[in-house]
Amino acid sequence: MSMGGARSIARGLRAARPRLLPGALHSLLLAAVALFFLNFNLLGTASPSKRYSQDLVYAWFGDQPWLYPRPLPASTHGAREQPHVVVVIIDEQALALRGAHWPVPLQFHSQFLAELEVLRPRGILLDFLLLDPSPREDICELLGVGARLRADDIRLYLAVTRREDLDALDAAGCRDARGQPLVARHIFTPVSVVRQADDTDFVGRRYPFEQLAAGGRPLPSAAVHMYCGDGRTPASADCLGRLTGAGLANAGFELAWSPQGDPFNQRWSHASCVETASPLQAILNKPALPRESRCPPVATLFATALLSPEADPTLGAANEALFTLADGAFLMVGGNFRGTGDLVTTPLHTLLPGVYYHAVALQNLLAFKGYPKVRKEFRTPKIAFYSYDLLVLWLLAAIFLWRQHWLYGVRPLGLSPFAISPAARSWLAPFFARFPAPVWILCATVLLLCMAAYHDLQLIAVGLIIVAVVIVELRVAGEGEIWERARGLLLYLAAMSLSLAVIVGAVWVGYRWLRLPPGDWLGYFSFAAFGFFVAHTAILEFGRRIDELYAARAASGQPP
Amino acid sequence: MNRCLLLALSGALACPAAVPADQPPPAAEHDACQVPNNLILGPRTADRPLPLLSGDAAHGFHPACTVSWTTLSPKSEPLPVVGCYRGNLLQVANDAACGGGTGRLWVSIRWVLTTGERQAAQTRATTCQQLDTGSYAATRDYGCVPAAKAPAAASGAAPRTFPDSAPGPAAAAPPAATAPAAGTPHPDP
Repeated sequence: MSMGGARSIARGLRAARPRLLPGALHSLLLAAVALFFLNFNLLGTASPSKRYSQDLVYAWFGDQPWLYPRPLPASTHGAREQPHVVVVIIDEQALALRGAHWPVPLQFHSQFLAELEVLRPRGILLDFLLLDPSPREDICELLGVGARLRADDIRLYLAVTRREDLDALDAAGCRDARGQPLVARHIFTPVSVVRQADDTDFVGRRYPFEQLAAGGRPLPSAAVHMYCGDGRTPASADCLGRLTGAGLANAGFELAWSPQGDPFNQRWSHASCVETASPLQAILNKPALPRESRCPPVATLFATALLSPEADPTLGAANEALFTLADGAFLMVGGNFRGTGDLVTTPLHTLLPGVYYHAVALQNLLAFKGYPKVRKEFRTPKIAFYSYDLLVLWLLAAIFLWRQHWLYGVRPLGLSPFAISPAARSWLAPFFARFPAPVWILCATVLLLCMAAYHDLQLIAVGLIIVAVVIVELRVAGEGEIWERARGLLLYLAAMSLSLAVIVGAVWVGYRWLRLPPGDWLGYFSFAAFGFFVAHTAILEFGRRIDELYAARAASGQPP
Repeated sequence: MNRCLLLALSGALACPAAVPADQPPPAAEHDACQVPNNLILGPRTADRPLPLLSGDAAHGFHPACTVSWTTLSPKSEPLPVVGCYRGNLLQVANDAACGGGTGRLWVSIRWVLTTGERQAAQTRATTCQQLDTGSYAATRDYGCVPAAKAPAAASGAAPRTFPDSAPGPAAAAPPAATAPAAGTPHPDP
C-alpha cells in the first residue's frame, strides 16, 4: 500500500471516529440483547434449536476428518499403537452356541473373557450389570479368568450402578491357585454406565464425565475411565482429574457422531454403511438428518462370529481379519437382546444398543485426544465462554447496523429491499379487487393451507410468488427505483455473506480451540438472516433517546 | 401399496433370528459336529494361545486354562475330536493340559483348524447379522423353566447377569440350562 493510501485511510478513520464509538456501543447493546434472547431458556424452549443445529452439523459433516477425526476404521489398520474401539455384541444366538440363556450367566462371561484374551485387546468393558447373587464357583471362575487377563496387561472394566456392587463378588471369598485372595476391585475397574439424554428430545448427545454419588466418591464413566486409565493413549497424566471432579450435576461432553458406518460392519450389515445425505438435499426440503441406518459407526464383532467361524468365514482361515480388528483395541462388550430396552437414541436419531453410547464416547475421547467438546454451561469460568458468544454477536450486530446505515443512505425512505413497492401495490390491489373479498380471502387461505400441509409445495409456491412479484415490480417500477432496489439487495447479500463468514469462523474457532460443540450457529444465523436483530432494534431507539437526554443535561450544566 | 410395504417391513423386523436359548442354533451349512472322524490339525495362528474349557453340556463349560498347541499336542500331531458341542466346541482326549481334575478338555473351533473345515468349500460368505433396535411397550419375560439347574435352584442363587438398562431381576427363577445338543462323540480313528 502506498503512503498516500495509508494517509487517506487514516484520514477516513479520524473523520469516522465520532461515529465509530456510538456505533460500537449501540451494536454492543444490540448484541447483549441478542445474547439474552439466545439463552432465554424458558421451559427449555431454546434447547431444541441448539441441539438440532448441532445434529445437523454432524449429519452433514460428521464423516469429515476436519470436523470429527475419529480413529481410522479398525479394519484398515489394527496397529497396536493406534488405539481404536470395537463393539462386541452378545445376543441370543451367541448364548445358544454355549447353551446359555438371557440373562447372561456369569459362566458365559467367564468363557467369553477367556476367548477374548486370545485377541490381545488393550482393555475390555463388560457392559453388563452383575447384580444378582451367583454361585460361588461361578464368581471365582470369573475372578480367576479376570486375574489372568490383568496379568496379561489387559485392563478390565465392569459396569456397576455404584461402587458397592463389587462387594457381592468379594463376598464369595475367592482365592487363586496360590491361595492369594482374588479381590474384585483389583481385577475389575468399576465404571459408571449411566446414560444422559437431553430433556427436550431424549437424545443421548451428552456423555457424563462421572456419576455423582451422594456422600461417596464419584464414579467415572466407562469411556472416561477407559481412556484415562489406559496409560498408552496420548492423555496427560491428570486426565481423570481434568475430566472428572467438576462436581456439576449432569456435566458431560457432547458426542460427535458420524453418519458413516464403519466399513468393517458391511460384512454383516443388511443396511448400507455409506451414507449419501448431502447438505443440498437438506436444503431442498428433504429430511435434514440422514435416514435411520442400522450400520453403526463403530466396528462391530458379533459374539456369534467369534465363537463360530461358520458365522463369519471371512475373518480368515488364520483369523487374520479378526486379529487385525481386535489386536490392541478397546473391546466394549454389550448385549443386544430383543425386548430388554437397552437402547440409546443417537444424535442422528437412530436407535442402537446401549453399548454404542460408551463406544462412541471413547471414540470421541480418542479423536479429540482427551479434550472433547463441552457445552458452555459446564465450562469454567462460565462467563468467559458466554463472553465469546457476546463477541460473535457484537460482530454480527455491527454488520447489521452497518447495513442498516448504508441501506438508509441509499434509500432515504427506509423501504426494505424486500418490501413490495407502492407502485406494485397500486398495480396488484386493483387486480385482486376484481373479486369480492370472500373469494380472494378464501383462495389465499386455501393456498396457504395447501402450502402448510404439503411440504413439497412450499418451495415451489414461494418460488412462484417471488417470481410473480419480481415481474410485477419490473413492469411497474421506474428505472431509478429498480436500480436502488438492486443496490439494496446487493448490500443485503454482501452483509449476509460477511455475517456467514463471521458465523463460520466463530463456530470453527469455538469448536477447534474453545472445544465448544457446534450448537450455536443456527441462533447466530437467525439473528443475522431472519431479522431477529430488527425485532430488537427498539432498544437502540431507547438508547438513542437516553443519549439525547444525557447530552441535553450536560449542555444545560446539570450534573449527569 | 402402503399396506403391503408395512406388512413387508413388519415381517422383516419380526424375522431377525432370535434363537430361543433352549434350542440349538440353526444348523450351519458346515457343522463341525456332523463331520465324521474329524481331526484337529493345529492352531489357526501359531503365536496365539488356545483357551481350553472343562466341563460338559449337562453341567456347563468352565474356562480351564490357556495353553500353547504344543502343550495340547506335545508332538504337534493332529488330535482326534472326541466330542463336539453345537458346532463350536471340540473335545479332545487330553485331560492333563491344565493339570489334573479337569476331565477331557474342550477348545473353540475358532482357534483350531480341522480336517472337516478343510474339506468344506472355501467360498462361504459371512452370515448377515442384524441389531435388534425395536422398542416395545412390554417387559421381556425371563423364560423361566424351574428346576432345570439343580444346584443353583436349590441354593436360590442363580448365575444371572443383566445388560445395563435391562429389566431388573424381579422374582424370576433362574433360566433353564439347555439340553445337551448334538454332541456326538467320535471314536478315535
